[in-house]
Amino acid sequence: MKNRLPSPYGTLINREKSIQFEFESKTYNGFQGDTIASALIANNQTLLSRSFKYHRPRGALTMAGQDANTMVQLPSNPNALADRELISEGLKVTGQNYSGSLEKDRGEWLGLFSRFLPVGFYYKAFFKPRGIWEKWAPLIRKKAGLGVIDQQLVPDYYDKQYKFFDVVIVGGGPAGMQAAIESAVENCEVLLVDENPSLGGSLNYSRFDVEGTRGKKQLNELLDAINAKPNISVMTNAVCNGWFADNWLPIVTKRRLYKVRAKQTIMCTGSLEQPAIFHNNDLPGVMMSSAAQRLVHLYAVSPGSQAVIVTGNNDGYGTALDLDDAGIKVNAIVDLRDEPIYDDIAKAAVARGIRVETGTTVYAAHSKGANHVAAAEIRKIVSQGICAVQGEVITCDLLCMSVGYTPTYQLACQAGGQLTYDDQSAMFSLQNCPQSLQLAGSVDSLWSLDAVLLESKRAAMIATNALELTNEKVTDRVTENTLSPNHPWPIFAHPKGKEFIDFDEDLTIADIINATGDGYEHIQLVKRYSTCGMGPSQGRHSALAAARLVAAATNRTVAETGVTTARPPFSAEQLGHSAGRSFYPARRSNMHYRHLEAGAEMLQAGAWYRPAFYHFNNNDRQTCINKEVSNVRDNVGLVDVSTLGGIEVRGADASEFLNRFYTFGFLKQPVGKARYALLTNEAGVVIDDGVACRFGNNHYYVTATTGGVDRVYQNMLKWNAQWRLDVDIANVTSAYCGVNIAGPNARAVLQKVCSDVDLSAKAFPYMGVRLGNVGEIPARLIRVGFVGELGYEIHVPQQYGEALWDALMSAGNEHNIQPFGIEAQRILRLEKGHIIIGQDTDAMSNPNEVQMGWAVSRTKPFFVGGRTIAELEKKPSLRCLVGFVIDDSKVPMPQESHLVVDDKQMTGRVTSCNFSPTLGKAIGLAYVPPQKSDAGSVIEIKSLGGVRVLAKVVNLPFFDPDNARQEL
Amino acid sequence: MKLLTCPLNGSRNIAEFTYGGEYHATPDHISTSARDWAEHVFFHDNAAGMVTEWWCHTASSFWFLAERNTITDEVIRTFKADEIYTERIDFSAAKTESRS
Amino acid sequence: MTTLDPTMGMRRSQLYRRHINNNAVFKKTGSDFVVSHYDNGNNQRTELDQARSMAICDLSTLSRTGFKGAGAPIWAESQGVKLPDRANRAIVQPDGCLVAKLSDQELLILSDILAKSHQVTALGEQSTSDHLENDTQTYLLPRGDSHCWLAVTGNQAAEMFSKVCGVDLRSHKFALGNIAQTSVAKTNAIVIRQDLGQTLSYFILCDISATEFLWDCLLDAMQEYAGSPVGIRALEQLVASQ
Repeated sequence: MKNRLPSPYGTLINREKSIQFEFESKTYNGFQGDTIASALIANNQTLLSRSFKYHRPRGALTMAGQDANTMVQLPSNPNALADRELISEGLKVTGQNYSGSLEKDRGEWLGLFSRFLPVGFYYKAFFKPRGIWEKWAPLIRKKAGLGVIDQQLVPDYYDKQYKFFDVVIVGGGPAGMQAAIESAVENCEVLLVDENPSLGGSLNYSRFDVEGTRGKKQLNELLDAINAKPNISVMTNAVCNGWFADNWLPIVTKRRLYKVRAKQTIMCTGSLEQPAIFHNNDLPGVMMSSAAQRLVHLYAVSPGSQAVIVTGNNDGYGTALDLDDAGIKVNAIVDLRDEPIYDDIAKAAVARGIRVETGTTVYAAHSKGANHVAAAEIRKIVSQGICAVQGEVITCDLLCMSVGYTPTYQLACQAGGQLTYDDQSAMFSLQNCPQSLQLAGSVDSLWSLDAVLLESKRAAMIATNALELTNEKVTDRVTENTLSPNHPWPIFAHPKGKEFIDFDEDLTIADIINATGDGYEHIQLVKRYSTCGMGPSQGRHSALAAARLVAAATNRTVAETGVTTARPPFSAEQLGHSAGRSFYPARRSNMHYRHLEAGAEMLQAGAWYRPAFYHFNNNDRQTCINKEVSNVRDNVGLVDVSTLGGIEVRGADASEFLNRFYTFGFLKQPVGKARYALLTNEAGVVIDDGVACRFGNNHYYVTATTGGVDRVYQNMLKWNAQWRLDVDIANVTSAYCGVNIAGPNARAVLQKVCSDVDLSAKAFPYMGVRLGNVGEIPARLIRVGFVGELGYEIHVPQQYGEALWDALMSAGNEHNIQPFGIEAQRILRLEKGHIIIGQDTDAMSNPNEVQMGWAVSRTKPFFVGGRTIAELEKKPSLRCLVGFVIDDSKVPMPQESHLVVDDKQMTGRVTSCNFSPTLGKAIGLAYVPPQKSDAGSVIEIKSLGGVRVLAKVVNLPFFDPDNARQEL
Repeated sequence: MKLLTCPLNGSRNIAEFTYGGEYHATPDHISTSARDWAEHVFFHDNAAGMVTEWWCHTASSFWFLAERNTITDEVIRTFKADEIYTERIDFSAAKTESRS
Repeated sequence: MTTLDPTMGMRRSQLYRRHINNNAVFKKTGSDFVVSHYDNGNNQRTELDQARSMAICDLSTLSRTGFKGAGAPIWAESQGVKLPDRANRAIVQPDGCLVAKLSDQELLILSDILAKSHQVTALGEQSTSDHLENDTQTYLLPRGDSHCWLAVTGNQAAEMFSKVCGVDLRSHKFALGNIAQTSVAKTNAIVIRQDLGQTLSYFILCDISATEFLWDCLLDAMQEYAGSPVGIRALEQLVASQ
């Protein structure tokens, strides 16, 4: 490691622990705590990646994980940031987006053809000539790719966790630390979150005084104070990746996404140093001043041996002192300002005899054929952005840029904050943040450490006052006299271009100017047309320069031009955070395992597991289903109906309530009887059905469909919140397990285990309901006929479900009782012409259309949907749901949603269709025009493969038209 | 709006709630003209500004009303339905002529 | 001695197969079966220690009931039930059972875990006959079958819940006797803070059909805290060690 500085440089590294890793198949050594980038630069490997479009060599720019230059490929993680990702023993790192090698990328020629990839290229290529995109796409996709996804990846376990705090402070620099300390009053739970491995922010690397000791001292004081407050929680290596309403903050860590609820938020997100714009400003070795300072102080890495610093403020002089202290020769400070006003730090740098050129800029960086900066060409500034025709070339292998900052405004803007630009300070600042969000530090345009700490206290006080934990008088906002660190125009066009505005997308000055020239003057349009700010770093380093250029090109102010909308996420998020552990609730009946033991093929209906059919002797699916159907028709079968909805409606107004809620009349329904209950909404559309079982004068047990019961229950409560009837409504769906025992032998089987109810047809007729016991199990017995056979639905308290199943299966043994699944049940009900709500109805179906007019009372004062149905009945029907049969067994059987056609006209659709084992042919339900609805009409269905199939309309039900079997 | 305050259960994630549509006083189902009835059933105000909406806290099946500003997405207040519905509602018997 | 097996009873917890697979030793309370403890061979850690740090216990076969209706609170008071002062609070009755007020018109009553309380069954029967005789507007709810009943215990319990539930259940924010009707792992649930002895504990009741789902989710969430199922014996020890 050639470039390591001695201790105490390197606050983040542990020199005791050496780590070996690979980059581009070459072995390197670093220390524990090194990022991939710091370890590589320590070994003179400054080339880290190739740029997106022109495959230009790129190196570290921010050393803060804020740019796309350092994106590398890890075995299972593409686009990893080399200046954030730590090295580990044996880690294999490769470069991205090159052909050949990273050092000699065959794609580099693309840069020579940059004039053929003009701004707005994608738009133009998509647009015309027609079809050209298909030719370009394969090449572009290959050249402009980033990392590679490992498709063999075995995903890690990612999950989520809630956290609750009174005050959350985003950003653990001096402002955030001070704000945390001040917020941590009694009973206030405070979270301080920072994306870096340790707290301190700029205190860790920036120069705050001539001696260079204040940062460290201040950091230790703040750390001590934080450690002394047990109500401050600290999260490092954690990115607050967005701001959502009500101070909902997603905080991303390695494997867990924290969903943090804050009552108050203080944003201390700091600021982002901005590049100077000159020819070849993207060469490795050209970096932000703060990046060089980070390398020196955090990682003890010397980023070069001879430096040139281009600056528009006094911070560049502080960098010069830092480099000089670290033994790096500063060949020149190139100051854009004509007459700089120096602070003590700048004066100290001058006093050290470092060469300073004022009113001068770096006009170009030169690589001399290598993949690294070799010299800086400096020139006098003649006027804004214009340089003298000649200059001087100064040798350097490090070129630091210190020309200004933008506040890290993204989160505050997501919260509703607005950016304004002040021409005097040449800086964006934030305004109009919501009341529960405060700003402090450089994001709040404060630069001197004293001002930052004072303002942080004030922000914390506002937060704790708002929480009513303190009641302090809030002082006025801190004002400071420090000069703005921003230079208004560090932008210098070059005849050969390559002055990069946006490093991610390889956009230069001309690209932005041309976008406005092409008529895209609004900053949002410039972004979409040029792709400026659309890369991985989301405009962090391009927004300010782009705004200035667009403003100048369109004769507007920068404030008017503005920046594009900052949306979450703040930084790229691993898919694991959204695709990791999720909850998909599963519901099981108490008999679930009996189905599995009997060979059931389960399917999921909503959250419920239900048996589709039961495997039998290696027979195919259809054979098994048909066998189940025949067993119900000829013998006796048992089906689990536990998923069926169940709602108790009790109270003096129980029948009045049902009378209003459902379409039928219920006032005269006798106790001990069930009645069909059809539900419509206010639009007269059929939305559910069931049976209402009257167990007592004031007690109904109403069933509802499996998928509909939750909505039916909510609807009932909502209506009664308005009607205020004397009725109690309770959803008891899960409290009861149920079976339907059906078939000619059902009574014989049930009789064996149910002695306290007279099951004879006379005593317990069709549509009767009884309370009794099955074995020792208390049960509700309902004689209904969904499948059209003699049958009893038996509902018992849930935990008895398995015992009920066992009792009936064993009682039915001598009759060879067989379980049946919902596939068989669907065929059985279809044979009886019973519709399934949601399958045979849609969002428009009214009762008359689906032959349910008989279930609508037209004499009662009111029911939900009644008025609309009355209006609909004044108009001719538009369609009818009818039954059809297909006598030709050789044609392809239609399926659900196949169209009913009349020549080329689509006139309806099939809603159910199945082969009826009982009738030996295909039967189904379909919507047809009214003129085709009479029995005997022939309809044409466009079946599988477009084959036209003729079907005959018949009266329902298909089977047992007199319904004699269910009333046995 | 990521949180909503249920009058029974307090402040909860919005995911715990079911939206129940805009609150309207239901017009008289007999005397109202067909056009006004259609207006009531099929059209929503979708107003920019203050609206009153039905919300249900799903876990407790508790219905309540919320006054919300649709421009700022701020909930001004939530309250129990009995603030509006103070008395039992009854419906007069349908008259054949009024339905024609 | 015959080994007790939950299939000997008529009422079976949705989880009984999981308990058997986990070497559960069952015991009988009334006519129903609960897990006494799990026979985990030579595992050094006792279930009591486990319950003090992070554990889950299935109480689904213990008795519980509920009443709903405009007259339910008044009727319950007439039966000598001590009512919580407001909705979403629960208080322990002199006989040990726990009365939870879920709304102004709804009560949930859980027997004490030592199953000494007879009030639960008695109240259930009484409510029906009283209502039939003179319309008390009090309606019985089959809480023993509509909801499972799990206990989550230990000083890590709140931290574990924050992985599956959006309500702040930490002990200093969610007092003893507080109730949250909320979503736990996307399943509707009633969470009641009910410490056992000195140990932070919660009862959680969710739709009984989702019992297995919730059990698995909670076990997954408590894995990082070394949580595991315990039998009711450990909970009894928690109460006794008070």
